[in-house]
Amino acid sequence: MTDAARTGDQEEARLVIERGSASGSAETFLIVHADGRVTGHNGHVDLGTGIATALAQIVAEELDAAPDQVAMVLGDTGRTPDQGPTIASETIQVAAVPLRKAAAQARGILLSRAARLLDAAPEDLAIEAGLVFAPGSNRRLGFGEILAGATIRAELDLATPVKPAEAYRLVGTSLPRVDIPDKVSGRATYVHDVRLPGMLHGRVVRPPYAGRDSGDFIGRSLLFVDRASVASLPGFVELVVIADFVGIVCEREDQAAEAARRLKIAWREPPPLPGLDDLAAALTAHPATPRTLSDHGDVEAVLPGSAVRLKRRYVWPYQMHASIGPSCAVADFRDGLLTLWSGTQNPHMLRGDLCRLLQLPPERIDIRRHEAAGCYGRNCADDVSADASLLSRAVGRPVRVQLTRAEEHAWEPKGAAQLIDVEGGLSADGGLAAYDFETRYPSNRGPNLALLLTGAISPDPQPSDMGDRTAIPPYRYAAERIRVHDMAPIVRASWMRGVSAMPNSFAHESFIDELAAAAVEDPVAFRLRHLKDPRAAELVRATAGRAGWVERSGPRRTGDGSGEGGKLYGQGFAYAVYVHGAFPGTAAAHAAWIAEVAVDRRTGEVALERVVVGHDTGQMINPAGVRHQIHGNVVQSASRVLKEEVAFENSTVASRDWGSYPIAQFPEIPDVDVLMLPRPADPPLGVGESASVPSAAAIANAIFDATGVRFRELPFTPERIKAGLDAAWGAPAPPARLEPAAPAPAPGTVSPRRRPPLLRRLLAPVLAGLAATIGTAAVGLVLRAPIAPVAPPDPATWSAATLERGRQLAALGDCAVCHTVPGGSANAGGRAIETPFGTVYSTNITPDPETGIGAWSYPAFARAMREGISRDGRHLYPAFPYSAFAKTGEADLEALYAHLMAQPPVRATPPATALAFPFNLRPLMAGWNALYHKAEALRPVVSRSEAWNRGRYLVEGLGHCSACHSPRNPLGAEKRGAAHLSGGIADGWHAPALDGTGEAPLGWTQDALYAYLRTGRSAEHGAAAGSMAPVVASLTGVPDTDIRAMAVYLASLSKAAPQGDRQAEAARLVAASEADIRPAQSLGARLYDGACAVCHRSGAEATLFNAGTPLALTTAVNAAAPDNLIRTIFGGLAPAASGAHSAMPGFAETFTDRQVAALVSYLRSRFARGRAPWDDVEARVAKIRASLSEASTAGG
Amino acid sequence: MTPKSDAAISLTVNGTDHRLAVPPAAPLLDVLRNDLRLNGPKFGCGLGQCGACTVLIDGLAARACTIPAGSVAGRRIVTLEGLSRDGRLDAVQEAFVAEQAVQCGYCLNGMIMTLKALTLRDPAPDERAIREALRYNLCRCGTHLEILAAARRACGLRPDARLSARDGGA
Repeated sequence: MTDAARTGDQEEARLVIERGSASGSAETFLIVHADGRVTGHNGHVDLGTGIATALAQIVAEELDAAPDQVAMVLGDTGRTPDQGPTIASETIQVAAVPLRKAAAQARGILLSRAARLLDAAPEDLAIEAGLVFAPGSNRRLGFGEILAGATIRAELDLATPVKPAEAYRLVGTSLPRVDIPDKVSGRATYVHDVRLPGMLHGRVVRPPYAGRDSGDFIGRSLLFVDRASVASLPGFVELVVIADFVGIVCEREDQAAEAARRLKIAWREPPPLPGLDDLAAALTAHPATPRTLSDHGDVEAVLPGSAVRLKRRYVWPYQMHASIGPSCAVADFRDGLLTLWSGTQNPHMLRGDLCRLLQLPPERIDIRRHEAAGCYGRNCADDVSADASLLSRAVGRPVRVQLTRAEEHAWEPKGAAQLIDVEGGLSADGGLAAYDFETRYPSNRGPNLALLLTGAISPDPQPSDMGDRTAIPPYRYAAERIRVHDMAPIVRASWMRGVSAMPNSFAHESFIDELAAAAVEDPVAFRLRHLKDPRAAELVRATAGRAGWVERSGPRRTGDGSGEGGKLYGQGFAYAVYVHGAFPGTAAAHAAWIAEVAVDRRTGEVALERVVVGHDTGQMINPAGVRHQIHGNVVQSASRVLKEEVAFENSTVASRDWGSYPIAQFPEIPDVDVLMLPRPADPPLGVGESASVPSAAAIANAIFDATGVRFRELPFTPERIKAGLDAAWGAPAPPARLEPAAPAPAPGTVSPRRRPPLLRRLLAPVLAGLAATIGTAAVGLVLRAPIAPVAPPDPATWSAATLERGRQLAALGDCAVCHTVPGGSANAGGRAIETPFGTVYSTNITPDPETGIGAWSYPAFARAMREGISRDGRHLYPAFPYSAFAKTGEADLEALYAHLMAQPPVRATPPATALAFPFNLRPLMAGWNALYHKAEALRPVVSRSEAWNRGRYLVEGLGHCSACHSPRNPLGAEKRGAAHLSGGIADGWHAPALDGTGEAPLGWTQDALYAYLRTGRSAEHGAAAGSMAPVVASLTGVPDTDIRAMAVYLASLSKAAPQGDRQAEAARLVAASEADIRPAQSLGARLYDGACAVCHRSGAEATLFNAGTPLALTTAVNAAAPDNLIRTIFGGLAPAASGAHSAMPGFAETFTDRQVAALVSYLRSRFARGRAPWDDVEARVAKIRASLSEASTAGG
Repeated sequence: MTPKSDAAISLTVNGTDHRLAVPPAAPLLDVLRNDLRLNGPKFGCGLGQCGACTVLIDGLAARACTIPAGSVAGRRIVTLEGLSRDGRLDAVQEAFVAEQAVQCGYCLNGMIMTLKALTLRDPAPDERAIREALRYNLCRCGTHLEILAAARRACGLRPDARLSARDGGA
């Protein structure tokens, strides 16, 4: 819509209503164009609230224009008046006033000109659908005809009379929203969709003090940044560093994201944040300036004499605006002129910030406001606008920046926590004797982040005065003292829907409910006796009538007849008027809630079933739009009250995704009944926030009605409610246990995850001695002769069939998996292989004569494969699985040699393997070989099928499955006999047992094994991860018959063949795992629901492309150790080449260690029922994260 | 092995075959938005959690932000732009217009595409099935009531049907 308006905005004949602004350039309010179209200009913006529609309705009404004749221009700094930020629900109530006057003024000008053309008196003319006529005449003039080529500029006259409400024809009707058709079809251009020629993509790299904005470390924490770590990446354009502001510009968005991940950067550790687990303590301790808003009747004198005296404390948590789209902006800074496409809520304020940041006068900055994701206050839209501007300035080209989800969550200025202390009392006759109210609100307006990070403004703590919204109660207390403690933010905070009025009203309306209960009076009747405003009383009565309010003089504790453990039902009331602006402020719409809840005594879950909202907003411009806003407020505020709370850990924000910050989901949405009082003759009041304000108290009061227990701290999560009920009533008799008791571990078993470090520590001295002994005894075997180098053979000497066979064998042997570094040339070696004895680096097996095996004759190659001896006579370490390869037949070895020699040579010297003593003594391997190595081929077992024998040859030979899947003894030799293929370790991953003794909840069948090896995924078990994923990718080159043969052999190893109806068994396992999964009653449960369940819940495969395996079936959750699960959560999965699955995202950058540990423990408890919980999960998580970051540093 | 960045990938989007020189590991969402200039699918989380990026792949709802573009060659991808036929909106889109089921509209693509996938596999879902299908599509404006009305309309139910959480909710 703004675009449509833009097209006709050339200098042309038109009527302009404007006001000379302070800066001298005129501010436009309305334009009637030569073609008769009308554009209204307003400095506020449409945040998805429909104000573009409602404002156009107002203009069309005053002009009697056709609704589709009018378009709005909103928020562009070059074309709209500065009317301040779009906050406080003021657009219709405040910002629309001059617009309406401008339209009325334009009407007068048009009529007086038309009067001359029609030869009639202006007051005799009428307008219908934009056509002016004299009654009784057929001649009708459009606005364009009336202008007749003239250009008229008129100074806005605020004294212009406007239409009386009773004359309205468009205002008060539910015109459809103007923006919806384009949004539904994908034609709408959000700021995220702005594309400019030559546009680049930027990403920011933020400091570790996410969500903080005061203290002298802000803007002064960068230690170093390594440009070389990203400069050679594909598409790299520029790295921009200004104090703590760091951004990267690349050609493509995915390249910028990758570069931001790869950038090597170090920051100073930020100072600790005050503990926020106890918000009341943190807010009480935070420096503040008290401000008295109201003081009459001497509260301190009256309180002691009260017949009933209550002292209550209400705690509101930090919450998030949580825009569904991370903020985005496009900047084009050229020739000292910045053009910025932004989704800002505050275009003119942002322009001021950018003037300061870029040292530009306002006229050099043109902000073009586009629609963005809803923000409900202050999200990161302004921050990212500055980010894009800085990056564009650095590269001289247009740059688009969109924040990541984690950046938006972590850095958005939060809705502030709030603490309200109330002490009050009743007189002997049940009157309201005294009310002493103190509120603490640590917030300000959220200074632009780039200003802080670059050091352009001082990071001194700055308080604001916004804690006073609706701080004055709506009830008549004989004595009253209202104080607000103005304080600077503790973490970055700014206005959020309802601002401080919502927490303040939580206190007012909870407290009055407590007083009613103390007076043994009905809560609604009690309120009606004491409300100051008769208009509010009318709304309260109407709402109670609509909802079927049941009078009561105390909590009803209505059960459903099922007794202990059943549900309790309650109805709660609250009323509030949202007061905005500087104290004493302006009232927006009034709202009353009646909330109906069901409280589950067993789980503590509060289900909000129905909300009846009464609403008085005066005149309604667009009733459907008002209803829509009420609905949105009810749903969003209920989500805040029941679910939302920002988590802090390690002195920063720990809620960085929708798992760690859950919001309302569709199945929880209550039935909502809206009662809108018709008041067409009263001025319109803001509707954007009012219906949120009573939510918390109404729900708390409903819980009280259901249970008799008061809750005064949000959110009302199942854990909090259950704890409160248990404390009040004593813990209920334990219901049937949700989780089976943990079985004790079998005696004598050692948790495998402890094994490498423990064994290494305990056995190292023993091993050294043992190895020395072997070495001495076997000294005659130690020295092996080198085999003379040869010229690289000509690949033409081998037949195509031999080369093809060799290619298949190389694929089967996964040579390239170990002999290639990630991203490097195939087979050029250098990949680090972690062993209990140290890091072994794979060698170059390309036919390069100097650094590879180009000088190796076939006998040298065969000796290496069979005996583990390098061409020069050195012993190889058994990380190279020659003990398996030795089982390979001569013809196959020759073919493999041919294949390797036919590959392109790569000159590359891998790092030298340097193990610690005694393992650095390679000759000792001779002794090792004497003990553990038998260089002989497999003999077929005649009683077995050909496929079985073939499978055995592949699995035990070149396939070298046992290298990972067999345990090793202290000297690194695979254990044999019963231990063969009974599970091992590879690259820190647990390689499960292949002999049927593994932990897979469903046994492996031949078909499952085939599917897994062929495609990388078995529906019954899950996807190949870790080191197995590249193995499967390599097996792509192996023929189907060989894969099937391997499956035949591996399936035969199972001691017990899987039995029964496997689908039914799988379904049973999955159903059992999900039986009592809701409500989420722990951090782990919430993380699972928000981050995992969408793909892994049962039934997802039928509805979602790339759904994951239900976790109850996966080996990782059922394994003896949590390592594979932790590693998968951290790193995710890459897609299978077969297409059997696409990617799973990794969560290393999203979740803290504590969160991963909570998730892992929860998954174990729910999806591996009957198995013992894992111990020390958090330590394991930390250890694995450390190993991953070491690996990335080493590899990066 | 890391794919080379200049490798070409094949994509079939809204009935048109594309051959694109883009990194196969690039998220499908980035390629749809930046290379094919489609505005329908939106970036919301990059983790498959919110659903704003939803497209149809072989008729199933798919979260384009987590799917590498190189992994869906040969599959039929349909975006919001591809739902309309001969300039007429799809019935699901029409239901959203009729119910005015949009506030900011950023999540809208995911709502429409997820419901489209639902109607493809179940033309007559009930209230519970609708809510369950949308469980992991997040909306922050609180447009859920209007979206549910649009979903009911698209599925042949009465748009104003009311249902308490006791019957169909969590």
